[in-house]
Amino acid sequence: MPRRVAIVAAGLTPTSSHRTDVTYPELVYEAVSAALEQAGLQASDIDAVAYGSMDPFDGVFAPERWNVEACAGAGAARRPLMKITTGGTTGGSTALAGYYHVASGLFDVVLAVASQRVGETLEAQLVLNTAVDPIYERWLGAGAITIAALQGVRHFWRYGTTEEDLALIAVKNYENARRNPNAHLMRMLTVKDALNTRLVSWPLRLSDCCPSSDGAVAVIFASEERARAIADRPAWVIGAGQITDNYWMGDRTWYEHWDSLSMLAHRVYRQAKIEDPLAELDVAELYNAFSIQEIIEYEALGFSDKGKGAELIRNGVTTMAGQLPVNPSGGVLCTNPIGASGLIRVAEAALQVMDKAGERQVPDVRKALAHAWGAVIGFHTLMVLSRGAP
Amino acid sequence: MSARVAIVGIGQTALRASADDRLYHEHDYEAAKLALADAALDRGDVDTVICSGWDAVDGRTISDMHTVMSAGGYLKDSTHVGEDGIMAIAYAYMRIAAGLFDVALVTAHGHAESSFETVSNVVFDPLFVRSLGQSHLVSLALQANAYLQRHGVSGEQAAKVAVKNRGNGAANPRAHLQSPVDVDEVLTSALVCYPLRDLHCPPQSVGGVSLILASEDVARRITNRPVWLTGIHWAIDSYELGSKELSRLDSLAGAAERAYGMAGISDPLRDLDVAELHDITPFHELMAYEALGLAPEGAGARLVEEGVTGAGGDLPVNPSGGVLCTNPYGASGLLRAAEAALQLRGEAGERQVPGAARALAHGMSAPSGAAARTDCVLILEGG
Repeated sequence: MPRRVAIVAAGLTPTSSHRTDVTYPELVYEAVSAALEQAGLQASDIDAVAYGSMDPFDGVFAPERWNVEACAGAGAARRPLMKITTGGTTGGSTALAGYYHVASGLFDVVLAVASQRVGETLEAQLVLNTAVDPIYERWLGAGAITIAALQGVRHFWRYGTTEEDLALIAVKNYENARRNPNAHLMRMLTVKDALNTRLVSWPLRLSDCCPSSDGAVAVIFASEERARAIADRPAWVIGAGQITDNYWMGDRTWYEHWDSLSMLAHRVYRQAKIEDPLAELDVAELYNAFSIQEIIEYEALGFSDKGKGAELIRNGVTTMAGQLPVNPSGGVLCTNPIGASGLIRVAEAALQVMDKAGERQVPDVRKALAHAWGAVIGFHTLMVLSRGAP
Repeated sequence: MSARVAIVGIGQTALRASADDRLYHEHDYEAAKLALADAALDRGDVDTVICSGWDAVDGRTISDMHTVMSAGGYLKDSTHVGEDGIMAIAYAYMRIAAGLFDVALVTAHGHAESSFETVSNVVFDPLFVRSLGQSHLVSLALQANAYLQRHGVSGEQAAKVAVKNRGNGAANPRAHLQSPVDVDEVLTSALVCYPLRDLHCPPQSVGGVSLILASEDVARRITNRPVWLTGIHWAIDSYELGSKELSRLDSLAGAAERAYGMAGISDPLRDLDVAELHDITPFHELMAYEALGLAPEGAGARLVEEGVTGAGGDLPVNPSGGVLCTNPYGASGLLRAAEAALQLRGEAGERQVPGAARALAHGMSAPSGAAARTDCVLILEGG
């Protein structure tokens, strides 16, 4: 059995479309110092750093270098630092890296940091377009929005999902974000408002699409002995993993399903000994950059049968008062510093388990799920956190 | 207590000046195929794939979308380090040591579709430094100058490192540059960025490198020539060039100290049989000797002058010819580990160090030269 590992602290920054009030290192320092303060640790307590960001959205190559001292003075102290980049899953992959750093036995206290300044990018979709095959797919204009729209078209056609269903997802997330001081979009939204926002790429309207955000996040992973000493209620990692789907869009299975996510969920639930996720999970933080994706994620993650995801939002199952609140933070739909968003999901899930989520706290959380997708919907990461050690 | 992890497969493509017939991820594909064949494994036997490199250098956002697939990662647990490939070994080691994976495949590629010099300028902060023209090479030149000024190292002494490595490369059929050079040629080659001359600088090479790592159980089952990773550590240096001692490689010294401790090495010059170092310039090989504890500070050149690190010396360094002969940016560090592993298997051909049982591989992961460079040190032992 691998070494037991827990999250003992999570620090988040306020986000906005451009955090011009701080330099990049200052933004990262905000997140790291918040995490250290919550853990009651000094910079010198950190053994190693895992750092995630997607350089092409920052306008700086290898920003972890510029920000090295903001990561608990890692450069001056000549600490180990490892840079992780995997597209939208970068934050989720950085959490996995932090976990393996400790699980390996090489390190006891590890800082996972992720950051992004999408505000430095002229147009994120143009940057993302360079990810796909330059000969066969780039000219299609493929990016996150167009792929998500394709998912929507397929789901509407196959299962009769409607624009009103998407609006319900948006309204729920916007409502939640208003209780999250670190959310980017914090405004009232009604179903009628949502249906009146401009069309971006059918069936997605503006309220179905995430903003571009500047933000950073830091999470501290610790070995069992250190975790018990640092935190009253650490969030134990009881399942974690990543899955890689095909590179070419045309070589993937039907877009109304997320089969790669289903496969990963199967693997991770087995690790976490979860048989009925809807009953056993108390909260989930999903990478819902587009409203339709939250519905498909419900299905892929086994919260509902295939094609029945929209029923969960229609019946209020995933609202704050429902059986399984999804994205009490407002999710990626309200805040998206791309490479940081996956680690923000892990941080939010950890805060829920640690009972430190403030106004957005779900009562008595014992198990929480954190998800990210990336790579033009080709990658997924999952992490299950628990109040009880594995 | 540390877990036992071994290198069980080695793949190296031809490394050369250009490859117009291949895209960047095809080098990963070719190298992964070679490593799988070397390990007599099928891609279905691999549990996790870890690729490496820099999107900004590859000219692709999420470059690993393609490299991971090319390396056989379909439906597997994969990831990507935005570092030189030697850091993919560090990550693979952790995944296996945690007991969660048995077989890991790591890959790295170098290509010449972009100018590393141009791209590396964008590592520097846009407010104060970028507009000065700071870059990978310029920062390395500053470091070389600080070193030679501080310790009175002569041009001839540094040239002898280039002569040694280029001579070694001439005996390596896989090296990119296979022509020897002499001291005069080095000293009269064109000035690139003082004190670096043309023959002090590595080429930009194209190709791929892949290694397969396995847990002890699997390694013992599938190979009779495992190469054990008995020491591993990595460390990053500070970013501001003005706020550190440029004439020393402190991140390398820190990484080496921990790796030596893990492997039980007290006197590296005595305990090691061969070393493959990231000799990004001859000056940096001399600085590396000192950071690794092979020579006192400022006295690295003596090892070359006395032939200690030459072929047939007490501790041959870079029998492959090193980075000065073959430099696929992003894969050069991983290549050091591949070459060191070949030495321990006794499969290094003409460049074989007789009876090599313990080797050191050093990789530098540095998107921009001396600024916040990462050094990774591996101690490898033959089975």
